[in-house]
Amino acid sequence: MSERIYITGIGMISAIGNNVQESFLSLSQLKTGIGKINHLTTRYKDDFLAGEVKLSNTDLMDLVKDNSPDLNRNSYLAMLAAKEAVINSGIDTKDGLRTGVISSTTVAGMGKTELYYKELFEKNDHLNVLDTHDCGDSTERIADFIGNVDYVTTISTACSSAANAIMLGCRMIKNGLLDRAIVGGVDALSKFTLNGFNTLMILDKEWCKPFDENRKGLNLGEGGAYLVIEGETALNKRNGKPLAEIIGYANANDAYHQTASSPEGYGATLAIKQALDMSNLNPSEIDYINMHGTGTPNNDLSESIASKTIFGEKVPKFSSTKAFTGHTLAAAASIEAVISVLTLQNQLLFPNLNFTTPIKETGLIPETQLLHVPINTVLSNSFGFGGNCSSLIFKKI
Amino acid sequence: MVKAYINGIGCISPQNTIDDNWFFESITPPAGDYFNALEPSYKDYIAPNLLRRMGRAIKMGVASANLAIKQAEIESVDAIVTGTGLGCFEDSERFLLALLNNDEQFLTPTSFIQSTHNTVGSQIALIMKCHNYNFTYVHRGFSFESCLQDAMMLFNEGKENILIGGIEEHTPNFVELNRRANKFQIVPTNTPFWESTTKGIQMGEGSTFFALSKNPNNKSLACIEGVQTLYKPKTSNDILSKLNTFLSLHNLTLNDIDVTLMGFSSDSEFDNKLQEIKPIIEKESSIAYFKHLSGEFHTASSFALWLATKLIEKQALPKSITITGNSNGSIKHVLILNQYLGINYSFTLVSKI
Repeated sequence: MSERIYITGIGMISAIGNNVQESFLSLSQLKTGIGKINHLTTRYKDDFLAGEVKLSNTDLMDLVKDNSPDLNRNSYLAMLAAKEAVINSGIDTKDGLRTGVISSTTVAGMGKTELYYKELFEKNDHLNVLDTHDCGDSTERIADFIGNVDYVTTISTACSSAANAIMLGCRMIKNGLLDRAIVGGVDALSKFTLNGFNTLMILDKEWCKPFDENRKGLNLGEGGAYLVIEGETALNKRNGKPLAEIIGYANANDAYHQTASSPEGYGATLAIKQALDMSNLNPSEIDYINMHGTGTPNNDLSESIASKTIFGEKVPKFSSTKAFTGHTLAAAASIEAVISVLTLQNQLLFPNLNFTTPIKETGLIPETQLLHVPINTVLSNSFGFGGNCSSLIFKKI
Repeated sequence: MVKAYINGIGCISPQNTIDDNWFFESITPPAGDYFNALEPSYKDYIAPNLLRRMGRAIKMGVASANLAIKQAEIESVDAIVTGTGLGCFEDSERFLLALLNNDEQFLTPTSFIQSTHNTVGSQIALIMKCHNYNFTYVHRGFSFESCLQDAMMLFNEGKENILIGGIEEHTPNFVELNRRANKFQIVPTNTPFWESTTKGIQMGEGSTFFALSKNPNNKSLACIEGVQTLYKPKTSNDILSKLNTFLSLHNLTLNDIDVTLMGFSSDSEFDNKLQEIKPIIEKESSIAYFKHLSGEFHTASSFALWLATKLIEKQALPKSITITGNSNGSIKHVLILNQYLGINYSFTLVSKI
């Protein structure tokens, strides 16, 4: 149970780049990926901004080199990001060690289902969307794309999904059930989610402004991001090179409301506190927080209050990177885990874009400039519908 | 090795399982090529103000969770872990159709809010005011097995009481589309269910929750010794060899298994590998089946776990589920050997305490 867990590979595709290198450039040059909607077919394409991956489905198909009609945007994004992570880590899934794929998604195949659902009742042409509608589909696509995978499962806990996938991977290694795992999440943009968030009236029509007094809501994004995580034993066996260590994680439930966070951020406080306890760190030893920071009035206030409850008046340097990527739902926590690894590797803190005025109740001010500072530990938060709150702590090697 | 003790069950299925005393006295046939769950009067289990907004999957989930907790006589749990392949499909479909029919206009949030896969788990957390660990697994035929595996890990990590459940619902439209895609068949009466030579399943649905504890108590009905999933095994020999290894971890061999509950689905292609294994298993253990009573769905293994527990509790193997053998009075170990679409295989070992 005391096995240490290392991140040894990262892969990511989102609005800010089709791979980790492109993402790093966008982050360092303060270039947001959020803009006008180009690929999604919706009557709101001129009304809302979104963080779309800058590739069409045909482009994505060419990149995965598979023209199977059963693949959808969710699977393409998942396969590309997971493969990048595997190549980056240098693991060989044929070496006899037990490899798991633990993925997460909320929208799954809905992006394709919504295109054909009504005609399915009249024509037989697209009935195969039934087979790829569910959340497990993209996970099995990753497993088959990589090959020689011993274990697969999928998690869906709304916007905290990928944090829970990362956590589960760590626990399965510590419990001796796996030697290593490819963990993360994926969500392609769909009309279903865009309209869903629109009915909740939490979409900003302009660029989202996390932690700003005048924030209006979130911008949706899309993407996939995966980490290869390995137990110390497996890593040493192949003389692999770690990128960062995962030293804390926790999952708690706000149990307050189906969609809203409690005003005092009770669930968030529990998750952060338990992750800190596990890492044996004092709150003062956290160097940077990558906040959930969606830009909705409710989340950012609740998360700010939870931060003050834990850290008192000495809240560490923090930012939300969602103004770069948009809110990528199930993928958010793994995209932010990749960003956290980049922060630790490069000792670079990526800023909170679009911020001008602190929230009146808390007065917290995020970092607004690219900072080159010593960062040994990063706390990353993810909260979701259903009160799901998860926190992860990463440490520099 | 850690075990999970089952202290309470709530099972809503196409049979009268909601009545804890029911044990195959009367059997409800499928509605042609699919099964509907026999749903209780929910007002006995759920407050009316909550009930009004809930979709069917949420109602089934919350009611069966309520039954499990009551039977176990516990008030709080250290974790709530749910599994579902398609989540709250009724709400997802309602929002999707409203969106498509009205060109993305005039939508209301309720069905979108309830469409997320973790709705059942979070509704239970809300009702129980449970701030603890809350997870939802959504992986096809591994959705419920992942819950079990997580529960065993949580016990290993020191937790004491855990609520787990598998939930699945279908809608008339979903049934219709699957029928159009030729996924169903009315099982021919001239061949046994487990020797099907034709394609198609009978779809089912339901929700089964279990109150589990790390240590046995006076409510304990049976214990889960282990669970393992197997993704896309190439041959039936692969399955057998993994099964033997799995049993040896618990110091058992196939010969120690009194009843094997096999996940035959009546689809000849999906059942193929189980059909190949059956002659080997029947030399060592009685064999029973269950999807002719529950129907096939992502979390049908949660119904199988209810069944395994009942067999141990009653020490009887009813004729209506028996394929071969007779184990009445001597049921110590029950093995669930499930398959879903011939892709997701799993072993669950349940034992008498």
